[in-house]
Amino acid sequence: MARDSIPLHVVPPGEPGLSGNAPPLLRELLERVRRLLDDGESSAIDLSALPLTPADLAWLRDKLGTGEIAVTLHAHGESTLNETGCPGIWWVTHRNEQGAVMSQFIEAAFVPELVKAHPRDVLTGQEYLESMISGC
Amino acid sequence: MQGSLIDTLARQGVTRRAFLKYCATLASMMALPPAAGRAMAEAMAAAKRPSVIWLPFQECTGCTESITRSHSPTLEGMIFDMISLDYQETLMAAAGHQAEEALRHAMKENAGKYLLIVDGSIPLGQDGAYSCIGGRSNVDLLKEAAQGAAAVIAVGTCASFGGIPKANPNPTGAVSVSDLVQDKPVVNIPGCPPIPVVMTGVLAHYLTFGSLPELDDKKRPKSFFGETIHDRCYRRPFYDQGKFARTFDDEGARQGWCLFELGCKGPVTHNACATVKWNGGTSWPVESGHGCLGCSEPDFWDGGGFYKALSVPADPLKFVAASSVVGAGVGAAVGFANRASKNAARSAHETTTLADLEK
Repeated sequence: MARDSIPLHVVPPGEPGLSGNAPPLLRELLERVRRLLDDGESSAIDLSALPLTPADLAWLRDKLGTGEIAVTLHAHGESTLNETGCPGIWWVTHRNEQGAVMSQFIEAAFVPELVKAHPRDVLTGQEYLESMISGC
Repeated sequence: MQGSLIDTLARQGVTRRAFLKYCATLASMMALPPAAGRAMAEAMAAAKRPSVIWLPFQECTGCTESITRSHSPTLEGMIFDMISLDYQETLMAAAGHQAEEALRHAMKENAGKYLLIVDGSIPLGQDGAYSCIGGRSNVDLLKEAAQGAAAVIAVGTCASFGGIPKANPNPTGAVSVSDLVQDKPVVNIPGCPPIPVVMTGVLAHYLTFGSLPELDDKKRPKSFFGETIHDRCYRRPFYDQGKFARTFDDEGARQGWCLFELGCKGPVTHNACATVKWNGGTSWPVESGHGCLGCSEPDFWDGGGFYKALSVPADPLKFVAASSVVGAGVGAAVGFANRASKNAARSAHETTTLADLEK
């Protein structure tokens, strides 16, 4: 039986749901961007570890805006690594195969670590290219 | 199979990025800083697989089901490839003397280094005769296997606290692993069954840092059992507003209000169901409209009724009293206390309610 056929409708509490926990994160991000520029140190904020409501997250997303680059990773469910309107700040969402959000981060980095190819994997690619050339 | 974990995973079609993504999520669930996800991935990818021996005692195999049937294809299951599971009666192909030989061999080859996983409680009545494997009692097997183990992981409420076999009147004299094993580090991963990712989280922590995660006073990993179900429940705002479902089909139940008055044990139960959820993040008991049973707390079966609200003013004895008393020897006292509370509740009730059906 589909869940929809059960007449149970969960009504979210009426409030707009802003907890006030989101605005301080902007300052935190400013600090992290500063560190990125000064020392080249990338870092991340784990959003699931913070008491943020869906409305807080929507507020943050809205404030940070959308940037030029949107990366989609297909690996055991879809992940999106999207640049925000502030270059160097990325909104990273990991989903499982069912499409449920498993974890969510805001990363301060020139390029998110996950986007870069690992040298070991590049090596595998190199071997593949060589085998193709020798096979010609 | 030999080689590092990342090679093993690659053979199964799990890419490095998929693994990194999983580690990032695992680190997040374990409340480790985001950078730890990467450290975890690097350490685990290179880790050599430690030997693990899994002994089943008085159990229902639900814990094994939980981990092997977590949504598929499952990374939790694949993480099991990072260990060398040398003995697990349900999963291994060998049987009889061959299986017992595998156990002896693994214990000898990896003496002092293997991880021992135990599910099920251990009966002490009748010299342990209530549960035997290959003609030897559970208590005998546990003592021998624990001696050479680096650490013991008690999986499920039965192994952690005695669970259902230990429920009043405890006919087999069941006890928990930590009642018997005192000279080795013991981690309890309670739950009936426990959440798969908690089991893999503990294994991942061991592989990454070479140590066991930080534990609470009941030997449970703090990262998963640090908060109550109630703390993280999405229905919590209704509790704060005083909006409660009073029966399972009233307006409150339909509106998804708090299930506290229907006996939800969320406020005294430490577990990660509210955040991790079940069945690949599909749902969890409270989301499906039923209160928490408190299955990851000691003596949850004797808590005085699953449908009895936690704090009814007329009833001075609460579930909290039962759950905060731990240790060997107090079982009987708790049993009597519960009996007293049940009798008090019985005489206090005038009409037959759902709670009475639980007595």
